[in-house]
Amino acid sequence: MCGIAGRISTRVGPVGHDIVELAACMRHRGPDSTGFAIYGVPRESGLVVRAFLGDRRHLDSALDALRLVTKEAGSDFSADPTWDDTTQPHVLVRAEINDVQDLAAWTLAAEEQAGLQILSAGRSLEIVKDVGDAREVDAKHNISAMRGTHALSHMRLATESLVSPIASHPFWARPFPDVCIAHNGQLTNYYKWRRRLEHDGYHFSSENDSELIAVWNSVQMAGGHSLEESLRASISELDGVFTYLLGTADSIGMAKDRWAMKPLIGVRADDGIALATEEQALRSLYREEIAMINYDGPSLTEVWNAVQPSGRVA
Amino acid sequence: MTTVIAPSLEVEVVAGDRPLREVNREIRSALAAGSDVTVTEPMSRHNLAVALTGAGRVRLRGSVGYYCGGLCAGPDIHVEGNAGWGVGEALASGLIQVDGNAGMSAGASMRGGTVHIRGNAGPRAGIAMKGGNLVVEGDVGYSSGFMAHAGRIIVCGDALASIGDSLWMGSVWVAGEIRSLGIDTKVVEPPADELREVDELLAELGVSATARDWKKIVSAEGLWYFEARDAKKWLMI
Repeated sequence: MCGIAGRISTRVGPVGHDIVELAACMRHRGPDSTGFAIYGVPRESGLVVRAFLGDRRHLDSALDALRLVTKEAGSDFSADPTWDDTTQPHVLVRAEINDVQDLAAWTLAAEEQAGLQILSAGRSLEIVKDVGDAREVDAKHNISAMRGTHALSHMRLATESLVSPIASHPFWARPFPDVCIAHNGQLTNYYKWRRRLEHDGYHFSSENDSELIAVWNSVQMAGGHSLEESLRASISELDGVFTYLLGTADSIGMAKDRWAMKPLIGVRADDGIALATEEQALRSLYREEIAMINYDGPSLTEVWNAVQPSGRVA
Repeated sequence: MTTVIAPSLEVEVVAGDRPLREVNREIRSALAAGSDVTVTEPMSRHNLAVALTGAGRVRLRGSVGYYCGGLCAGPDIHVEGNAGWGVGEALASGLIQVDGNAGMSAGASMRGGTVHIRGNAGPRAGIAMKGGNLVVEGDVGYSSGFMAHAGRIIVCGDALASIGDSLWMGSVWVAGEIRSLGIDTKVVEPPADELREVDELLAELGVSATARDWKKIVSAEGLWYFEARDAKKWLMI
């Protein structure tokens, strides 16, 4: 069943806290794993990278290999990498690097040579996902303390793949920086589109249809279409039942299929916009009665713009 | 001899973050003791006031989540806000009123009683109804009334696409515009006695007595005699 949530703040603010609250309220929709995509204050240059390593014992060698790969790409770490200090066998790593010329090639090299899986890369996007519900993932990775302009979240009920951080959402639209997806639904023409995109040179990190939707939209936008146009086209090009939130550097977009089986409710308030699969999640941020926007209809799209922060990270 | 009936007490039940089973148990106990119930801080939570039997009034002071009032038989439930999916699903008897809008599948599979939405209702309102009345003062979403076996859906506003699709014995009444009829449906002239019943019901519910141009949608009865060899005829897409 799964649940999705989105948050846009009218100013750089505690979107980490807000998105955790929205997700925690929908634990029952999918407690297997929870993921967050936080858009912090964007850098003028360089990338923030989030990565997953399956065996914590190999962290040192993986980081050495990552540094080497990054140097070979004409870049380097711009800050010392950090990682979670849990006792889990796997580990989530955060790194900051200078710009690389070819992000797709760097991603593949990092994965092949360092044994990492790159969860996200961008000027502002950081994807953190782990097993457990929202509170558990927050306790491990301190999502609540993250500040930024907008955020997405996904609560996953594992149905067709592993209970693992790498099978969790949100998915980065590799290799497009700062684009990611949180999706509730299933595609029925997944393999058709996957074959086409692979034929065009795109690589996927998973067998998950949600990752494909993110890449599919990114390819449309790279081809000159606006986010709105891409979302609209996805309703006829992608078969299945779906409601998805697509995060970009400066907005969140939504598309809903022709059958409209997957719910989404929204609130537009003075402090921002909140979106969730269930209205009760929105009540975690807005306890008083407030006008709710019910996206119940079929074939819907919407784009919400995020604030442009005045003070950028140099 | 004069019988003095003690005024029923009104009991307040706070929903908030409390376990739903506990909240519903308190509502049920209060009704059983002859009290009316006010539920405060419903917080859009799911499954509030479900499976209540017998008379009594339950007022929910705010919006509710999914399946509010589902599986009830008898009570009078009033939602002072919006309702999520499936409000009044499988209602057997009684009245459910929603001051705001209702999400998808309002009154789905209801067998009796009345569900009254003062605002709009989402898609698939009254699907698979088997009796009772679903009254929507605003508009209804697509595929409302799908496969309704019996009962009456009354829409004072507009109806979106595929209204009444695959109806059986139920009927859909629409005062406003119809975006499109569902398959195997037809619009008929409403009989005078039924018109009177609808007017009386709306008056009883306090719906304004504006003159309305009712269109009554019923089954065209083609699917009643479905043959597999004709399947293509009924494909929606």
